[in-house]
This record gives sequence, structure tokens and C-alpha cells, in this order.
Amino acid sequence: MSSCRMNTPEWGQDGGLGRRIVENMITVADITSSYGRRQVLRGASFTADRGECIGIVGANGCGKSTLLSVLAGTLKPKSGEVFYYGRLAWGCGVGGRMHGEKEFIRSMTGYVPQENPLIPELSVYDNLRLWYPDKKKLRQELEQGFLSLLGIGEFCAKQVSKLSGGMKKRVSIGIAMAGTPPVLLLDEPSAALDLVCKEDIRRYLQEYLARKGTVVITTHEESELDLCHKLYVMKEGRLNQADNRLRGEELVKLLSQ
Amino acid sequence: MRQKAQYLYIEIKKTIHMLPRMMSQAILLMVLIGAVAFCGTKSMEQEPLAVNVDIGIVVRENNTMTRMALSYVENLESASQVCRFVQVSEEEGFERLAERRIAALIVLPEQLVEGIMDGSNPTVDIFFPKNAALEAMLLRELTESGEELLTVAQAQIYGANDVAAAYGMEEKLSVMESEIDSYNLAFALDRLAIFDTQTVSATGRMSVVQYYVASGFVLFLLFTGMALYPVMQEEPQAFCRQLKRQGTGSAWQCFCRWLCGFLCMCVFTGMLWLMWMIGKIFLPEQMAEVAVLLVGSGSGYTAGVQIAILCFMIAVSATWVYFLYSIPGSRTGSILLIFLLSVVMVYLSGGFIPSMLLPQTVRQVGSVLPTTYLIRASGCLFVGYESGTLGQCVAVLCGYTILCGTAAYFLRTRRI
Repeated sequence: MSSCRMNTPEWGQDGGLGRRIVENMITVADITSSYGRRQVLRGASFTADRGECIGIVGANGCGKSTLLSVLAGTLKPKSGEVFYYGRLAWGCGVGGRMHGEKEFIRSMTGYVPQENPLIPELSVYDNLRLWYPDKKKLRQELEQGFLSLLGIGEFCAKQVSKLSGGMKKRVSIGIAMAGTPPVLLLDEPSAALDLVCKEDIRRYLQEYLARKGTVVITTHEESELDLCHKLYVMKEGRLNQADNRLRGEELVKLLSQ
Repeated sequence: MRQKAQYLYIEIKKTIHMLPRMMSQAILLMVLIGAVAFCGTKSMEQEPLAVNVDIGIVVRENNTMTRMALSYVENLESASQVCRFVQVSEEEGFERLAERRIAALIVLPEQLVEGIMDGSNPTVDIFFPKNAALEAMLLRELTESGEELLTVAQAQIYGANDVAAAYGMEEKLSVMESEIDSYNLAFALDRLAIFDTQTVSATGRMSVVQYYVASGFVLFLLFTGMALYPVMQEEPQAFCRQLKRQGTGSAWQCFCRWLCGFLCMCVFTGMLWLMWMIGKIFLPEQMAEVAVLLVGSGSGYTAGVQIAILCFMIAVSATWVYFLYSIPGSRTGSILLIFLLSVVMVYLSGGFIPSMLLPQTVRQVGSVLPTTYLIRASGCLFVGYESGTLGQCVAVLCGYTILCGTAAYFLRTRRI
């Protein structure tokens, strides 16, 4: 049985917490999660507004990916709450059990996991078709939408197994953008990519933020931290806000404290 | 629903895309299995018993009656098929016997035929070599049993004589002797019994060819599982999670992948049928001969029932292979597991050597394996089965399919 907070604020509710939730695109409050006996998240909380980029840094295995999985709706938290645009996405349901509005979470978020969710044997177009069932809309996206911005149209007919790491990552972002969600969750998007690809991805994210999208990104890359309006350090399953101008030795010092 | 249909469409598209590669691998497997089946059939084929034994005969009195009697015995079909009589002198006969150039030496006494006719019954001596070979040993056994029969018949005649004399029934003696003779002749010289053949086969109701084709087909289905790696292997976790997030549940993902594997196996089986049809066009006579060997007296099932049995077998095999792909989670591990388990299970089920010829423990293990029932179901396509046997096969295989399918589902979803 999950131990849920029962004072769940609702959309339009007056009062301190309720007002903040309405204003924020994302509100994460006291999320806990565990794998068996190992507790990974011990009350992670943060907020993000529209057009804001949230950077989460931390050592490997500290729970960054777990937090993103919770936000993406693929992992059920043990307790805590997640709100998107003021609406409860994860929280206590009937009988005090943790309940998730998965359909709603899906419509609000695009999730780019570390591994690319692609079928290597098929073409890029076929892969996109899986996530964009509407052919017409897919074509529009490829010609004028975010997919064209990612430059996917140029290599749409190529087989995925023949693409470079950067191209694959762009397709993964394109897949996450199916349904044009207002929140983009990226789990170490630049891992194992060359400098040009990293720069490309940075550019796409800037464009997304300019369109008032919200980005939550876990990263080890300093260049990606430049995009972030808020920086959180994950330690012992909790998020601690840090100065987003911290770089280099200072950041390493903070992480190793 | 649309998302689910789209996923199924994409999976089928991927399967079609990968089909040529998988088919080429399946053809290689077919060649391999064909070679194994050919060797197996050859090793099981038995040449008809070709015993040709030389028997020396010493005729001490070479008169017309003896020659006629000898000629009569020589020309008996049952005798001429297994032995050849060589007339030799007594000295030469013993010499040949010592050198084992003859399996036995029969020495016919003087007045043989006359002695038989007047009831004095002179003794015929039959000599066998020391440390006789197999043929001579068999001949010795047969001679001894013949001698026993003659002794009994002689005792019966003497007994009848004594009884008739004791009760003053001499006038009925000829009838009694005739009855005794006809009884003994009917017993000992029942020619129908000699030519009656009863086939005892380790392959049961199936012929050797049918048996190896049936077990070869099961091995083929399981081996093709190795070529199904691209469609049946687990997708990366990230992909499965993303699908789940989009509303395509784990159960549907598992079903779609299983279905693609099943369809591939159907295509491979269809390929066998296509090869058969092509063979019939280009080699009509040879294929007609093979058809006779394969079909035999027929199963008595309609084409629809046979196709249903085939589809059922393919579904069971596809589930089994799908289950094996769920265990190790790596390509090499899965392929090795399928190969080793298929070979071991088909062996234990008597697919290589008929189970009748395997040790008792192996037979007991084999009797609970799904491959045993798959081979039986495969065999029933050729010879048919009583409804009870087929029902048992279907029930056991359904049980295995549900078990393997459920286990595969839990193994895969546990990792997502």
C-alpha cells in the first residue's frame, strides 16, 4: 500500500499550493520510488514553467532516469504527486492507492529514453509511422513541423540500422514529439554523440523552448546545462536546486559532496 | 485500438522485410535436416535375409528312388530359398565340413526310401562343424527341432499300433495312422505358416520413411525457430516501454511478435509444399514413387483436417520457440538454446532413433516432452490415428502451449 498525501490540490483551487500548481507547467512533489527494497527516490520535488528548461545532474545510478520514467508515466511512484498544467497526473486515487492518469501524461509529455526506441530493420519513415498513425499529419510534420526542423525528411527513406548515432537520436526526439506534447523529457540525449550532433540537438531544444515548450533534461554535458533555466542536483534520491551557472570543478565538487 | 493495429502492421512489415534472410537460413536448415533424415533412413533400412547355405549330401546308394527323393527335397521352395545341396563323397564331405565350406553334412544310408516305406526307418546322420557359424547354428537348431517332431510322430504311430493291438482294432489302424500323419504334416509342414510374414517395426504404424519425415518435420519447425530471431527476439526495453506508454500493452506486443513468428513458420512450411509441387513438375516419376512411400495407405483425413493439424503444430512450435527466446535475452544464447534443446528433445522423443530402441529411462523422459506429441501429431498426417490418441496429443500440446505462452509473457513483461 502506498502512503499518499490526501490533501491533493485541484485545478483552480484557491490557496498557496493550488495557485502555484496552476501557474506551473510541471509540479513534482515528494516523489518516492523503489526497486524492490532499494529506495531510489526519497522525496524528489521541483517545478517548471512553460518555456523553461530544467537540468538534472547527478552521479550514475542516483535515480535521474527513474524520475524521468515517473514523469513519463512508464513507472509508478510509491508516493508523491505530479501535476501537469495543474492537473493531477500521479497521486492518491480511490482507497489511498497511487493512481496515474496515463492517457493524460502521454498527451502532455514526450519522452526520449537513453536507448533509442527504434526498429533497426525498418526505414525511418516506417518507424515514424508507428508513432504518427495519421499519414497526412506525418507528412505535414516532415514538411513543415518539428520533424522538418530536426531534418528528418532528408534521411526518411534510410534504414535505421544505417543511420549515425546523431541521426538516430534526432529520430527518437521526433518520435517523442508525436502529438506535439508541451513537455519534453530527455534522458541524457547527448550520450555517446559527437560534437556536431550535440550541437544540433542543442539547437533543436532551443527552438522547442522558444515555442514555449518545457524541457526536463538529465545530463552530464556542460553544453546542455547552458540551456537550463534551473539546475537540480540529485543526491540520495532528493533534488537540491543549485545555481545554474555552476560549471566545471564547482559542479563536480557539489556532486561529490 | 488504432495504435495497436498500427503496431501489428509495423511488425508484419518488419517480418516481410526480414523474410528473405530468414528463408535463406531456413533453406540451409532444410538441407541439413534432409541429410540427417536420409542418413537415418539408410541406416534403418534392412536388406532381406540372404542366407545361402551349402549343405553336403553323401548318398551311399545312388539309386533312382534316392535321386527322386533328393530332387524333391532340393526343389522345395522353402529349402531352395535358404540352402543349396551339394552331393559329395563321404571323405570330401568331412573335409569341407572341417574347412567350414559347408554348414552341415547329411549322410543318407543305404535303402533309405525302402526303409521309410517298410517302416524300418534307417537313421540319417547329420554332422555339423565344431564352433559353427551363425548359419550352421540355425540349421542345427532347425534340425534338432525337426528331429524332435519326427520322434514325436514316430512315438504316436507306435502308440497307435500298441493301442490297436491291445483292443483288437487292427482294421482301424490305417485310418488312425492316416489321421496322425495328416495332423503332424499339417502342424510341421504348414506352408502357409512358412510364407506368412508379420512385420514388427520399431517405427510403429509408420514406415521408416514416414517416421523420419514426421520427426524431421518437427525438427525442421523447431530449427526454423533459430532463423526467427529478428521477429521473435525481445525488443529493447526502451522500445517496449515507449509502446506501453503509447497504449500498446505488453500482452499485445507479445501476441504480435508471436503471430509474426507463427506466420513465418507457416511460410517456411508452405515453402516445403512449394518445393514438393516443383518436384512434381520436373521429376514426376520420382516424386510419384516418393508419394507412394510417404502416403502409404493414407491417413483418411480430409485436406482441411490435415491443414488444421499442421497449423496447430506450427502454433505449438512457435509458442515453444517464443518461450525459448524469452529466457536468455541474448541472440547467441537464444539460438544455442533452441538448437541444443531441439536436438536433445527430439532425440529423447525418439526422433533420431525410434524410442522402442532407446533405454527405458530415456523413453520415460521422452514420454512427457512436447516433441513426442508433436512427432505423433506429425505422424498422424501420414497414417491417421484413433480419435483418442489424437485427442491426447492435442490436449497435451494445448497444455504446453498455454504454459509456455504464459511463462514467456511473464518473463518478458518482468523486464519492461
